[in-house]
Amino acid sequence: MKKILTIIGRDIKSGTRDWLIIYLSIAPILFALVIKGLMPGVESTTLNVVMQHDTPADISEYMESYFDVEYVSDLEAMNDRILRLDDVYGVVYDSNNEGFETIMQGNESADAHIALGLILDQYGLSEDTVLPVTVEFSDVGWEMSPLKLYGANIIILFTTVLGGMMILLNLVEEKMNNTLSAVNVSPITRTEFIIGKGSLGVLLALLGSIAVILILDFGSINYLMLLTSLLAISFISAIVGFGIGVVNDEPIAAIASMKVTFVPVLASIFGSMYLPEKWHFILFWSPFYWAYNSIRDILLKTAQWNQILLNSFIILVLTAILFFTLRKRIAHGLK
Amino acid sequence: MINVNGLYHAYEKGGPFAVKNAAFKVEKGEIFGFLGPSGAGKSTTQGILTGLLPLQKGEVTVAGCDMKKPKREIFNKIGVSFEQSNVYGKLTARENLNFYSKLFDVNTVDAGTLLKLVGLDHVADKKAGEFSKGMKHRLTFVRSMLNKPELWFLDEPTTGLDPAIASQIKDIIKEENNKGTTVFLTTHNMFVADELCDRVAFIIDGEIKLIDSPRNLKLKYGEKMVSVEHNEDGKLVKEQLSLIIKEDQDRLKTIISRGNIEIMHTKEATLEEIFIKVTGRGLK
Ligand SMILES: Nc1ncnc2c1ncn2[C@@H]1O[C@H](COP(=O)(O)OP(=O)(O)O)[C@@H](O)[C@H]1O
Ligand SMILES: [Mg+2]
Repeated sequence: MKKILTIIGRDIKSGTRDWLIIYLSIAPILFALVIKGLMPGVESTTLNVVMQHDTPADISEYMESYFDVEYVSDLEAMNDRILRLDDVYGVVYDSNNEGFETIMQGNESADAHIALGLILDQYGLSEDTVLPVTVEFSDVGWEMSPLKLYGANIIILFTTVLGGMMILLNLVEEKMNNTLSAVNVSPITRTEFIIGKGSLGVLLALLGSIAVILILDFGSINYLMLLTSLLAISFISAIVGFGIGVVNDEPIAAIASMKVTFVPVLASIFGSMYLPEKWHFILFWSPFYWAYNSIRDILLKTAQWNQILLNSFIILVLTAILFFTLRKRIAHGLK
Repeated sequence: MINVNGLYHAYEKGGPFAVKNAAFKVEKGEIFGFLGPSGAGKSTTQGILTGLLPLQKGEVTVAGCDMKKPKREIFNKIGVSFEQSNVYGKLTARENLNFYSKLFDVNTVDAGTLLKLVGLDHVADKKAGEFSKGMKHRLTFVRSMLNKPELWFLDEPTTGLDPAIASQIKDIIKEENNKGTTVFLTTHNMFVADELCDRVAFIIDGEIKLIDSPRNLKLKYGEKMVSVEHNEDGKLVKEQLSLIIKEDQDRLKTIISRGNIEIMHTKEATLEEIFIKVTGRGLK
């Protein structure tokens, strides 16, 4: 253990003197800040509702306590507003039968629609009736901007790859200085050395991801699930980092080779986002696909342990396959 | 300390042997040298002895450990210095040593003391990446002393160093040996071998041609020569004459009988001359 910490300590010391490693360490934070900057007031974004000016005051007040309400003069203006790109629901109060009519465009998210309906149904019920949905539930369904959800997920997956790159660079340093032979004639075991060399990258993936979650303010997600999923997926990047690192003695070239990892990452993310469900099987080979799904559910707070564990297990199996493919190469490169 | 028998090594399967049927023993407390030209197989042998290269064929025991399956603990007892210096360029000299210290399970020597020993104390807190070749070499050298090794491997310890520093390094090696450290060193420099080694092995093309002490070798192979400077018809003549060849003996007698000798001394053969005689090749 002491020797593992020695290896980590050395990597940290050396890393603080290397602009490339410093950049890798702060990149997730920078990306998160950029995303945050791109969505001002993400916190105040709630479901948008458009109503007519002549809506009774008590209804307006009720609606404004739940939604961002815009007012228009007539039905035609309302339709125009709804047809614009963002998610806006029209709500028309029918004073004759004391009911609501909702108008949608059809591209709004389903969850939001249900929640809207539930809240509308509540109107007029006694004050002490417990609402079947709470405002917290609304955090999930409609406070989440897609930019924030997808953005965070993408950054997190890339952060695990950056962790692999960190491992890569620390190994390339050993290769470049030819110091592995010195380490190999010291009493440290191969296993201790590998754990030491891998830790910092995995730690970067974990800490970077948590920083992203905190910066983008995802609130009370299940951190244990997140940690489980992150650990599973960071191993794969770590192995790729080792596989490339041990045969390279030039940092820029090594990073360039590692960039190929971006292909499965991007393919998994965009495939998962845009492919119809029945085509998803073509992404099953990619550990990043499973990680993406896990992280999305965790961020949406709809994740279930059995699903997270299953996904993590699949990731670990894929990782094991990759490991056995690269094992010889890594062992050889560490000589 | 070291026991080697029937050792072979090839870098590629079925390729040429870099070491062929090597056998030798290094006794506790001696300085044992591998002398041979570049490419002879010296570093390869050291690589196998230190576990950096796999033991393919033959028996090798180092400090009581079978190198077929070396235990990590033996590295607490041995020190290894490399032909090519290898230190972390982004760490200072002191940080390099302190890091390496922490990899051992035994007490280590203070970094500052060692740096002073090889005259690097004034640059102790400078990054090793900014060092000259010689400075990096010295850092690599003292790093191998951190754990006060019982058995010390030195691959070309003085190569590429300027003479003053090389002589300093030689003194350190002698001193450590006097304190009881067993040394295995490789060199292509006959002076280093002659000055330091209790015994040398001549190695060429992966084969050990002979093993003996430098003194014995000189006695056995060194053709006794006499160098004479004498006056002949008012001119100073300088001649090298063998004490074994008949003609030279007669010539020497003639010179002596004339009585015009100014300087005359016996000259012993150098290790390189003996090396050439034994192997048919030089050390270059
Ligand atoms: N890593 C290697 N791969 C292939 N051949 C090598 C390698 N290292 C050394 N050799 C070859 O093995 C032979 C012995 O080399 P080496 O042990 O380094 O000699 P020395 O240390 O005596 O100069 C040489 O012919 C050299 O070319
Ligand atoms: Mg050599």
